[in-house]
Amino acid sequence: MSEKQPTRGASTWSLAWRRFRRNKSALIGSAIVVFFIAVGILGPYVAPYPARSYLSLYTGDAGTPPSFKHPFGVEDSGIDVFSETIHGTRNDLYVGLAATFVTMVIGIAVGAVAGYFKGVVSDILLGVTQVFFVIPVLLLVLLFARVFSVLVFKGLGLTLIVLILSFFGWSQIAFIVRGETLRLKEMEFIQAARSLGAGSSRLLFRHIVPNILSPLIVIGTLDIAGFILTEVVVSFLGFGDANTSTWGLLLNEGFSFVRTTWWVSLFPGLAVVVCVLGFNLMGDGLSDALNPRLRE
Amino acid sequence: MIPVFLGVAILTFGVGNAAGNPLDLIRAGLKNPSPAVLDALRHYYHLDQPLWQRFLYWLWDLMHGNLGVSISGRPVASSIGAWTVTTLELQILSLILSVAIGVPVGVYSSKHQYSKTDYAITSAAIFGYSMPTFWLGIMLIIIFSFNLGWLPSSGAVSVSYMWWGTPLLDQIAHLILPTLVLTYVSLATIVRLVRANMLEVMRQDYILAARASGLSERTVTYRYALRNAISPVVTIIGLGFGAALGGAPGLETTFSWPGLGYAFTQAALTLDIPLVEGITIVITVMVLIANLITDMAYAFLDPRVTID
Amino acid sequence: MTERLLEISSLRTYFFTEAGVVKALDGMSLEVNKGQTVGLVGESGSGKSVTAQSVLRIVPRPGRIVDGSVKFEGEELLSKSEDDMRKLRGPKMAIVFQDPTTSLNPVYTVEKQLTDILTLHRDLAKSEASQRALYLLELVGIQEPEKRLKTYPHELSGGMKQRVAIARALSCEPTLLFADEPTTNMDVTIQAQVLELLKKLQKDLKMTMVMITHDMGIIADMAEHVTVLYAGKVMEVADTVTLFRSPKHPYTEALLKAVPSVKQTRTLEVIPGNIPNLIEPPTGCVFHPRCKYVKDVCVKEEPLLEKVEDGHYAACHLWRELKLEGRTG
Repeated sequence: MSEKQPTRGASTWSLAWRRFRRNKSALIGSAIVVFFIAVGILGPYVAPYPARSYLSLYTGDAGTPPSFKHPFGVEDSGIDVFSETIHGTRNDLYVGLAATFVTMVIGIAVGAVAGYFKGVVSDILLGVTQVFFVIPVLLLVLLFARVFSVLVFKGLGLTLIVLILSFFGWSQIAFIVRGETLRLKEMEFIQAARSLGAGSSRLLFRHIVPNILSPLIVIGTLDIAGFILTEVVVSFLGFGDANTSTWGLLLNEGFSFVRTTWWVSLFPGLAVVVCVLGFNLMGDGLSDALNPRLRE
Repeated sequence: MIPVFLGVAILTFGVGNAAGNPLDLIRAGLKNPSPAVLDALRHYYHLDQPLWQRFLYWLWDLMHGNLGVSISGRPVASSIGAWTVTTLELQILSLILSVAIGVPVGVYSSKHQYSKTDYAITSAAIFGYSMPTFWLGIMLIIIFSFNLGWLPSSGAVSVSYMWWGTPLLDQIAHLILPTLVLTYVSLATIVRLVRANMLEVMRQDYILAARASGLSERTVTYRYALRNAISPVVTIIGLGFGAALGGAPGLETTFSWPGLGYAFTQAALTLDIPLVEGITIVITVMVLIANLITDMAYAFLDPRVTID
Repeated sequence: MTERLLEISSLRTYFFTEAGVVKALDGMSLEVNKGQTVGLVGESGSGKSVTAQSVLRIVPRPGRIVDGSVKFEGEELLSKSEDDMRKLRGPKMAIVFQDPTTSLNPVYTVEKQLTDILTLHRDLAKSEASQRALYLLELVGIQEPEKRLKTYPHELSGGMKQRVAIARALSCEPTLLFADEPTTNMDVTIQAQVLELLKKLQKDLKMTMVMITHDMGIIADMAEHVTVLYAGKVMEVADTVTLFRSPKHPYTEALLKAVPSVKQTRTLEVIPGNIPNLIEPPTGCVFHPRCKYVKDVCVKEEPLLEKVEDGHYAACHLWRELKLEGRTG
């Protein structure tokens, strides 16, 4: 045998990983994500000023444009934009990741059951999914946030925001999971497993769910981006928690004085754009890596 | 469709009664409506009846166009009309522009894959849907309104000073920035979708067969490839438009654009429950109609699909 | 009178992919005389389909013809403009593709797909084109053609779809027809019908046909001359009878051995290994890793096509020495 044979591993995942590594924009996206996660974890220890701190009011720096001392400038109220942006990173990432996680759990559960079983239960689930798909999500999120913050909790808290976002955000995943389950259900490897004695729950969790992982990984990554954007709008409009540093809150405060202290609107916004861009690039890269375009 | 509408109605009613009854919720909002208004609302909500009956009365009123009275005293239904038009003005204009520009750009991009232009277009697109729409609005306002003074920064029309001379031109002037922002963001999604679908379709055998039959490149690209690639794009555009009917509250607030999104935001902040409910129902109905049209369009474009 | 209709020499078509340059065709040649049925046989990946695509110059991206010559009716096709090529596609040459489910446009009716081509090349009015479309459907043996005109591809059975695809290919009465594995996805019974149809049409319309397949049985049935392709290169060329009786290339022998026969009772011999990596093809003879007669020279030097006798060529260093088994049954 004189022929050179490639001896690298050929499993789906290692192939996908190799493709991902070759993709420049995917790597840039991942680098951005890692950077922001690092800021989220270490940030509060590194930031020049504590969260929501009005200290600069006393040093006479309130309302100053970007400078060496305050790279992103200072709000009229004395809050240092640079520190606040750093503090906000952790919170916004938390919202994005947590909401994605919860919607995944709900969406997969609902979608898999609705797709796998026939009958009243799955019809009801499908109907409920449809209802949640049609409602104006952002508006109801705003409404719920306001009602909750007035009635139940004084102030809102990030976790509650996560729950509200998840409550309205699971239907897309449920639809996709349902579709994939329906499709996979009829495939031969399921028949094969069933002929070897596998019961429903085993089939569902050991065979079907692992096969829908690839699209879910992609959607999950892109959803993180989406939830961060939603949180930003919610806080910008004043429906978020006024005591927690978030990028949206900064933009809200900045907008009131946008004519003068424009830097309060610029920099946190840029942080959002770059962070979301990172997740989007990574998500696209994952999509390309997991679903290659065959060329031969 | 009907069950979905009922589902949304239940949800909306549920929130409105989260405090037990709408009036308590309104009072929790700390805005003090006049006693006359409170009485009218008490009557409208049939507060003396049990919960399920209140729901039925409310639903009945809804279907007959009686949306109650806002805490400011103005009937909800009459205000909603004007807001809907203002929102639709912006959304429809942006939709038309983004499709008219987005589809050709997407096709072009797919045919010149890996070229510098394709790279530029794809990058611009990915930036487009990575930014908060309203933030782009703020940035443009800072540049074009505050610094350059070329365009107005808020409202849909002016009260005293007419931009550019006539009332019509004034309206156009006000439309430019918000439309620009909305169009750019919609464009981003459409370009990406069209490009991706075209790339997928162009790899199919029937495209190769069409070329083998001597059909011109133009025919192959538009009548054979695009015709197949466009169906999923139509669905997404339709659904997206339905979602956008929610009025893009962020964008409308940034520009003080008096549409449904802006009105809803103010109503939710002040816990003006009748207004909130009214707007939600109106928007939901519009979304359902948009979805229906989208379904029909999809069935029209793809003969393999039948509407049930 | 044997008029050379198609003459391919030293054709190289490469695909420039992310993973490397795939040499789909690496110096292949083919000669087809007018009125003949020539078989182009090889495994999947041997470059058979790419040959047809190269002749019509519709090789999909990232593929490109990098070298060689393709002469049709004496004219060099590779130097023609795209506009000129388009005039040839349909009226002069056509392809029937393997899978009619994917080769027919799902969103247009049968009628539309046929009339599109007719109105383009024949300058017919809509109604005339529809008439001709009807005639074409009758020609390929479709029952109730008026009804079928208005149907969509997904409403038809596999056999009927392929008939429609054949009708499409024949719509402008091409001189040269490439049948690219037209029956691979079908039941054996339908297969037989479609092959019979092709034979009949070829005779009636006086077409020259290149039958592309991996099935030696179909070659025996349909082709007068055969070219054996492997990894983008020609292994052997001969007329069918000679190729079957006395093959001179080990690959041909192996192909023949892999076809089951009713008469002989013997174990099917499988060709060991897989088709080679076309990005980094083997050194020397491209078949040597799977050849049971391999010698040192096979690894070092690439064999050229040598003449065995008139009309019979083989690309093997050892063809003189080897006693290869053919088939009589």
